[in-house]
Amino acid sequence: MTDPAAAARLTLAVGDRVVYPNQGVCRVTAVESKDIAGQRLMFVTLKREEDNAVVMVPEAKVVSIGLRKVGDSTQVDGIFEFLRSDSDKANLDWKQRARANVERMSQGGLMGLAEVVKGLQVLSELRPLPAKERELYDNARHLLVEEIAASLKIDPADAEDTVDVILFPPGKERPKRTAEEFRLPSLDDDAEMDLDDPLLAVVDDLELPPGDEPHGEDDTEVEGRAVESEDTPTKLAKPAATRGRPRKKPLETPASNSDDEVTEPEAQAAPPAPQAPSTPQAPRKRGRPPKPKPPGAELPKVPKKRGRPPKVRPPEPVEAAPKKPKAPAAAASAPAKWAKAAAKVPNTGKKR
Amino acid sequence: MIRIATLDEFEPKEVAKFRDGLYASFGVGCEHSGLVELPGGFEEPFDGPKLLAALPSVQAYPDDKTLYLTSRKLQDRTFVTGKTPTHGYAQYGKDRALLSIAGSKGLGEDLKWVTRQAMHQLGRLWDLHHCLDPRCAMYPTWTPSFAAGDSTFDNFCREKSEQRIRLSKS
Repeated sequence: MTDPAAAARLTLAVGDRVVYPNQGVCRVTAVESKDIAGQRLMFVTLKREEDNAVVMVPEAKVVSIGLRKVGDSTQVDGIFEFLRSDSDKANLDWKQRARANVERMSQGGLMGLAEVVKGLQVLSELRPLPAKERELYDNARHLLVEEIAASLKIDPADAEDTVDVILFPPGKERPKRTAEEFRLPSLDDDAEMDLDDPLLAVVDDLELPPGDEPHGEDDTEVEGRAVESEDTPTKLAKPAATRGRPRKKPLETPASNSDDEVTEPEAQAAPPAPQAPSTPQAPRKRGRPPKPKPPGAELPKVPKKRGRPPKVRPPEPVEAAPKKPKAPAAAASAPAKWAKAAAKVPNTGKKR
Repeated sequence: MIRIATLDEFEPKEVAKFRDGLYASFGVGCEHSGLVELPGGFEEPFDGPKLLAALPSVQAYPDDKTLYLTSRKLQDRTFVTGKTPTHGYAQYGKDRALLSIAGSKGLGEDLKWVTRQAMHQLGRLWDLHHCLDPRCAMYPTWTPSFAAGDSTFDNFCREKSEQRIRLSKS
């Protein structure tokens, strides 16, 4: 991380070589004051050595953006020592890894770049890097090589070979890693965390509805996926804190935790009430039981006719009566909604 | 355009095959610019970086990349972290690279290996770094798996080189 005391001491002069985080090695070409929106500000003008891109930074922001001097040869030696060491194991949780890498790239300085390169290099010995991380690896490697070249005053090609003699030793193949090597030691033992037994003891007393039986097959599938997935240590460490459907493994009794019973879970999870031995038990259906039907629902229904309902004919007048308008007559016999609709539209025959 | 300049005599047919391989790998025009005379004061094994700096230019356009090909040996390079066997050298992000085929069976018999080495050095001219994939030509040349691989890039390196070539053309 950037040392705040060192950053506060950073004074820049024309010709200095500095490192702009995530951009690379730049040279200070000017320190001048400019009028911007009525304010007089001091600006440091930087030119990136790689492509001569120019950036102007207000002097007050130099520290906050993480601008720093190019590392010296002592720092570079420390980087080589770090790259030689076998201490760094990549985090298998991709979210934590991505967050840490972004922070290292922006604020970690030269060592932060080396940590990103080493971490992703080690991870690539377990499995190929995804596209985003491959890009991040390339960016970190580029910035690291540029800074080492600037620091040791050598060509970038030589700087890269200097780093890669450590990362890819001549005449040797890179080792193949296993997921076990990346497991954090503090999260390995479930026994140490003492999570299994109390949970099992509590759940053993529960009576479940017949539809919610535990299924051993599902359980083994979940275990298999957890072993293959990236987040193995986290998932193994927090069995009780998972979201969504609760895990079903604790429903097994501790004494019956054997391989045979995992393959035949339904016999083990029978309801506790005794049943008559003579009545053969039908195979129980999985899933939610069907809803109870209302008492009148079982009567055979008259099939509905499709299409517009037939027109209601007005009753024949018994006596001679004055003719009524058509709509109210229809409204009298049609359903209420039709009557309302007819009342809203007066049949005047005139346009408005 | 990739320009191949030879420092020694090679069979024209072999050079043509080599040129076709580079054209297929980068999708950029590639031609043989003829024999270039070795500057004086250099003895075998050559110091790659110094020789590369001293060689005359054969560029026709500013974005041309030149590959100097020799059959003589290059010095192993020594760094603060160790020593590596050297078959080639390239000025990173610039325009000239040097490749020695000493140690191979020759341009005709070992064309795949020579093309892979040339791709590695030319890739450096287009800002490619060493790759993590042993099948990629940008894998470090001193590793045992490098010799076993084909003359191809992995997806990342291929896309990056294509992008750089497009940018340099515009």
